[in-house]
Parts: sequence; structure tokens; C-alpha cells
Amino acid sequence: MDAFSAVLQGLPMTIVLTLSAFAIGIVGAVPLAVGLSSPNVVLRLACRLFVDLVRGVPIIVWLFLLKFGIQVGTFKFNPVGAAIVGLGVVSIAYLAEIYRGGLESVPRGQNEAADALGLARGTTFLRVLVPQAFRIVSPSIATYLTGLLKDSSIASTIIVAEMVFQSQAFARQHPTMEGILPYVLVGILYIVLSLPVAYLSRSLDARMRKAVYA
Amino acid sequence: MTLSEIANGKLAPRTGIRLDNISKRYGDHLVIDDVSLNVEPGTVTALIGPSGAGKSTFLRCINLLERPDSGTIQVDHHTIEPGKVINAKDLAALRRTVGMVFQSFNLFPHMSALKNISFPQQKVLGRSKEEADERAMQLLERVGLKDKAHQHPGRCSGGQQQRIAIARALALDPSIMLFDEPTSALDPEVGLEVLAVMRELADDGMTMIVVTHEMQFARDVSDTLVVMADCRIIEQGDPRAIMSDPQEDRTRRFLRAVLER
Repeated sequence: MDAFSAVLQGLPMTIVLTLSAFAIGIVGAVPLAVGLSSPNVVLRLACRLFVDLVRGVPIIVWLFLLKFGIQVGTFKFNPVGAAIVGLGVVSIAYLAEIYRGGLESVPRGQNEAADALGLARGTTFLRVLVPQAFRIVSPSIATYLTGLLKDSSIASTIIVAEMVFQSQAFARQHPTMEGILPYVLVGILYIVLSLPVAYLSRSLDARMRKAVYA
Repeated sequence: MTLSEIANGKLAPRTGIRLDNISKRYGDHLVIDDVSLNVEPGTVTALIGPSGAGKSTFLRCINLLERPDSGTIQVDHHTIEPGKVINAKDLAALRRTVGMVFQSFNLFPHMSALKNISFPQQKVLGRSKEEADERAMQLLERVGLKDKAHQHPGRCSGGQQQRIAIARALALDPSIMLFDEPTSALDPEVGLEVLAVMRELADDGMTMIVVTHEMQFARDVSDTLVVMADCRIIEQGDPRAIMSDPQEDRTRRFLRAVLER
């Protein structure tokens, strides 16, 4: 088997890891972001503690802890499960911080106008604050997604057969100069994969800029 | 049809508002010191005074954007005591009765002018989209901005944005309108467009409370002039009388500073 096919074998797993963790993060970060700016001190501090704890520990450590440190009854994480949960939880923490920044950058007058009009809290949040915050944070979210794509390679350390894992396996079987080839290819593949995200982000940004200011 | 007729579909039910012994402090810092004000239905009250006097804070206490520490607010058979627990029904009733216009307009930038005016009607009053859009178009036409209906606020001048903001507030059929320095962010010429709309609204008999530095407007349009300084009302009465013959030294100094500029 040639190096390129070897690396490609890991492609589906890289995509699965990245998109699953991203989906968990995008959704899970919403309540956490709300908690981070809650007027309730206990809730706010609890959320802050969670975010700082998750972000304070390297992803590789989280993955090892999840894979080898958790056993409840007969339940243990399989490598893929541990990687998805680990990357997902880290995504929740990072994205919540991004969301919070976005919500806080919406001018306070927007909230006041909504209050003065008598709009309900939920309506104000969903129809007034979120659309404006989303416009502000969408480039950061795209940047995070490309970062997550590359961080998914850390899953190779707990034996998840994604692209880097496959590259290593190939390199081990070809201990000559050829062994470096999969790493070159995998590097190029990561760049290629991140291109559509960057493109999507730019066109989304341009569309929303138009929607807001046109 | 007049502005408030359009806003209400009929003549506005005239409502006044009564505030008693309103006090507000931020920590140790007193911002409103036992202020009472009675606004008769269909009258215009201009609130003037040096900056830092508490005018805007007091205005924002009226619709509870700021929560006073004590006092009572009576409007439309509702009595609200902000020092105590406010039930959601009273708060909703207060906000429905009282409309507000801000210095910085605070239009929703992601919505067209039409949607800015239409969307709150649908959410707060439960109007259908067609009805709300129609009402919004009438109001836009009335403030001279029908052609801006489908523009976003970012494409409108400050004066246009403020007129859209007035239309947005009127669309919810308020019986009382609060204006928080509505022309302060505008250059003088553009401010005139906004003042013209406010004059018309006053002529229609809308109950209005206006925090302003526009002395001419205060003199010509308001029924009552209220002078605030140092967190309290120091003088109130007929605007012409106060402007020509202020009783308080503090008022005299303030008026001299504004009028002789």
C-alpha cells in the first residue's frame, strides 16, 4: 500500500471526530455561555470553574484520563468514544467563551430597547442578541473549527485510527526516507480540509455583513 | 390622520403618570433623592438640568430600566412599588403603557426599518404580520420615511434612525412616551426633523416626558418644565415663567449657561 492510501484510510475518522466534537461543542456551549453571564453568582462561578478547568489541562491529558481513568461498573470508554467526548467537552468550554464574548459585545442599548418595548427575555435573547452576537463570533468559531480539525490528531495517542495514526503506522512499516512521506501528505490534507471552512466562514461573514448593514 | 391616531387606530386613551418619593442609589452614591412628579394626561413635561443631575436615571426609573430603591409609580390603575417585588404582570403593563426613545436610537441593526417596527408588535401585542407591517408602513409614512422601509438602520442617517425609533415605540400604542435626550446624538439640523415629529406628537395630545437640552423646544412645546440638579427636582412649573424668572439660584446659573452659549 502506498503512503497516500494509508493516510486516506484515516480521513473518515478524522472527519467523524472533528464534526462530532464540533456538534457537541456548538450545542453544549449555549447553556454554558448563558451560565457564564448569569447574574446568579454561584452558577456563574461554577461555569467559570468548569471552563477554566477544561481549558487549563492539555487535551492529550483529558483523552488519557477519559480513556484509562474512567471505569463505572463494566463501562469503559472505547478509544473513539473517549476522543469524541474529550474533544467535545473541550469544544464546549472554548466555544462557550467565544459565545459569551459575542453576547457581551452586543451594545447594552439593544437589551434596554428590547426591555422598553416589552419583549420577553427569550425573544430578546433569540431574536435580538443572538443574531448580532453570531455575526460577531462567526469568524472565531470558524477559526476554532480549523483548530479542532488539527487537534483531532491527538486522538492518535489513544489509538484512534485517524489520519495521523495511519501515517505513523505506515512510517513504522517503512523505516526509510519513504517513512516521512505520509507526514508530508497528512500535513497537506489538513490544509486542504481547512480550506472549505475558511471559505465558508468568509462568505457567511460577507453575507451577514450585507444583511446587517445593507 | 395624526400620528397618535395612526399609532392607536383611534384617539389615544389619555393617561398620566404619578411618581412618588423615588430614590435610587448605586452603592453609596445617591443618584435620585426622593423625587416626586405628577404628569397630567395629554401634557408634555420637559426635564432639564446640568449633566449628572439624575435626569436620565430618573426617566429610566419610570419604565423600570433602572430599578428605584424606593417610591411608588402609579400608571393606568397599576401601582408599582419598585422597592418591593414587582410582579411580571405589572411590569408588562407598565412597559406596554410607556414607550421610550433613546439618545442612541437603539434600533435593531440586523432588521430592516419595517421589521424594527413590525416585529415588536407581533411579539408584544400578538398582531399578525400583515397587520403589524401595515401599521409600520403607516407610521413610516407619517415620519416621512416610507422609502426607507426596507433599508437597515446602518444605511439611515441619525435623524432618520431616531424617527424610525419613534415609530417603533408608537407602534405599540403607548399612552405615555419617554424621550431620553432624543436629539443629543444628532447634529442640530438633523435634530430638527426629530423635534418636528415630537411637536406633532405633542399636538396630538400624547403624554410626553422629555429629557432635553433643547431649550426652545422646552419653552414652546412643554406644558411643564422640571429642573433637576443634584439628584432632585429644584424647580418646576410653567416653562416661560421659569425661563424668564427662575426662583432658584441653581436654575438661574444653569439657564444662563445654556441660553447665553
